[in-house]
Amino acid sequence: MTAPGKDLVIGVVLVAIAATVPFLFPVRYVITQMTLLFIYAIVVTQWNLVLGVAGIFSLAQMALFACGAYATAMLGLYLDWSLWAAMPAGAMIAVVVGLLIGLACLRLKGPYVALLTLAIAQVAYLVIITDTDCFIRTETRCEPFTGGASGLRRFGDLGLREWLGRDWIIGNYFVGLGLLVAAMAFSVAVARGPLGLAFRALRDNLGYARSRGISQFKYQLVVFALSAFFTGLAGAFYAAHFKSVGPTIFSFSLLLLLLAMIVVGGLGTIWGPIVGATLVMFADEGLREVQDFRTLGLGLTLALFVLLLPDGLTGTASRLLARWRGSGS
Amino acid sequence: MEVIVQVIASGLTLGAMYAVAAVGLALVYGALGMLNIAHGAILTFGGYAAFYVITSLGLPMVAGVAAAVAAGALLGLAIYVVLVHGMLSAPAFETNIFIATFGIGMALENVVLKLFGAYPAAQPLALDGAVAVFDVFIPVRNIAILVAGVLLMVATAWLLTRTQTGNAIRATAQNRAAAELMGVRVRWIYAQVLAISGALAGVSGIMVSSLTNLSPTMGGDPMLKAFIVCVVAGLGNVYGAMIAAIALGLVEATAQYLLGVRFGLATLLVLVILTLIWRPHGLFGRTQVQRL
Repeated sequence: MTAPGKDLVIGVVLVAIAATVPFLFPVRYVITQMTLLFIYAIVVTQWNLVLGVAGIFSLAQMALFACGAYATAMLGLYLDWSLWAAMPAGAMIAVVVGLLIGLACLRLKGPYVALLTLAIAQVAYLVIITDTDCFIRTETRCEPFTGGASGLRRFGDLGLREWLGRDWIIGNYFVGLGLLVAAMAFSVAVARGPLGLAFRALRDNLGYARSRGISQFKYQLVVFALSAFFTGLAGAFYAAHFKSVGPTIFSFSLLLLLLAMIVVGGLGTIWGPIVGATLVMFADEGLREVQDFRTLGLGLTLALFVLLLPDGLTGTASRLLARWRGSGS
Repeated sequence: MEVIVQVIASGLTLGAMYAVAAVGLALVYGALGMLNIAHGAILTFGGYAAFYVITSLGLPMVAGVAAAVAAGALLGLAIYVVLVHGMLSAPAFETNIFIATFGIGMALENVVLKLFGAYPAAQPLALDGAVAVFDVFIPVRNIAILVAGVLLMVATAWLLTRTQTGNAIRATAQNRAAAELMGVRVRWIYAQVLAISGALAGVSGIMVSSLTNLSPTMGGDPMLKAFIVCVVAGLGNVYGAMIAAIALGLVEATAQYLLGVRFGLATLLVLVILTLIWRPHGLFGRTQVQRL
């Protein structure tokens, strides 16, 4: 079977499984956590394009996610936009910010990119949590423009409650699943297409790729902008689903969780991020009893995987499969 | 006049603090090409080690400093033994060690949280009192930080230029293969560099916590500043890091005075981005010519 055919079959099977979950386990907690898993999975598939396929060590992905989330919340809160209109607008704002970050990192390499993007995310976080100036005054208290340390609330939702009643949460579940399918199809198309070839060429041998006429300027900006769109959209959906946005989305522990998903699944592979997101999310649920040691476990898992299985589970599996096939024939 | 003295005094204090943290990072990057994200967690451990020895065991202050140095050095060594030794020859070392030390750093932070709790504690190893300079009262602990910072810088420079170990470290940083051929035991040098960097981080943990407080997440902010310092100076450039740390401390203090504390770091970052666009390898870094 050809590679696109295989991708299609895997995708259809995964979607079919995911579509039956809310009917097999009609528990509110399961559905909420699965929706959260979809949101994280969107982010890691897009981050993997930058980090794995293009090999640019950007840590600004959660800042782009926050851009989408905050822009959606603010458009809903201050301009009374419907969230269905605010979400794509938030995603486009994330694209613009992604382009600016890409521009700032253009001449930098490896660790310089990592440090600069980390610093950008931290500055955004610090500016938000120290925001205390009154922007709107309600009867009881005053709200700063960015919501400050407590975040933004009451900016509306997707409006599925009027339509579906108590099943609105299942409606949101399918919106999340739909977004994930679109994001995944997009990232597969990019990674397997000519763009992905250009990204990998620049990653593997910058000098050679450039001498063959592949513009680093163009493709580095393209990869930042492309991955920012669905990341921003995931952030926008996060805001719409949980009906609140706070500065916790900048936290190091969330960054650690997402990075662990990519590394466990396999950096730079097509299906690795999805596999990693699912496994890490389930492991995280399983360890809810010993939640105090959650960060400890995640941190050690990340270090162990990098040390022992640097290709991640899917990378190692496909290598073993290739060896087994090779010896069989 | 008073304002200027105040800004310079707080800028120099910040600068000295950043310098101690940044030099450790620069040493490790220079020798191994490794960004140690666990540096902030080692710094936190150092601060808490001094706290534990002085408050809980009731030992004198000197023992507190020794405990911080020992804790930092041991953690640095542990990172070498557990991670670096196995990964050095594997492909994509630079990216992988970054991710691995990020994980270890978060894990260590969690350990501090479990051992000492989330509530901030006061650092017992701090001096009280103030000295008047041009009618401005400057706390003694700020002066102590500045003096300690300068002494540590001098000691590091002495170690690097005047001792056998320092020669070996510099040779390894310049050309690993050539150093190995000259009989330098490169892996042993790497272990030493990580231990020295850890010891420096331990001391800077005391400095940082004596100005603010001890808390499990206290390492994050000074580490971020130390990274900015190293990036501005050019990664791996130890002397550049010393100069850049003092300069950035002064810039941050000025920005905090003129624009408010909120925008100190933001201003710093804008300057850093502009610097990097102008010189992508940092102020003191050299463009590397690579063979294709």
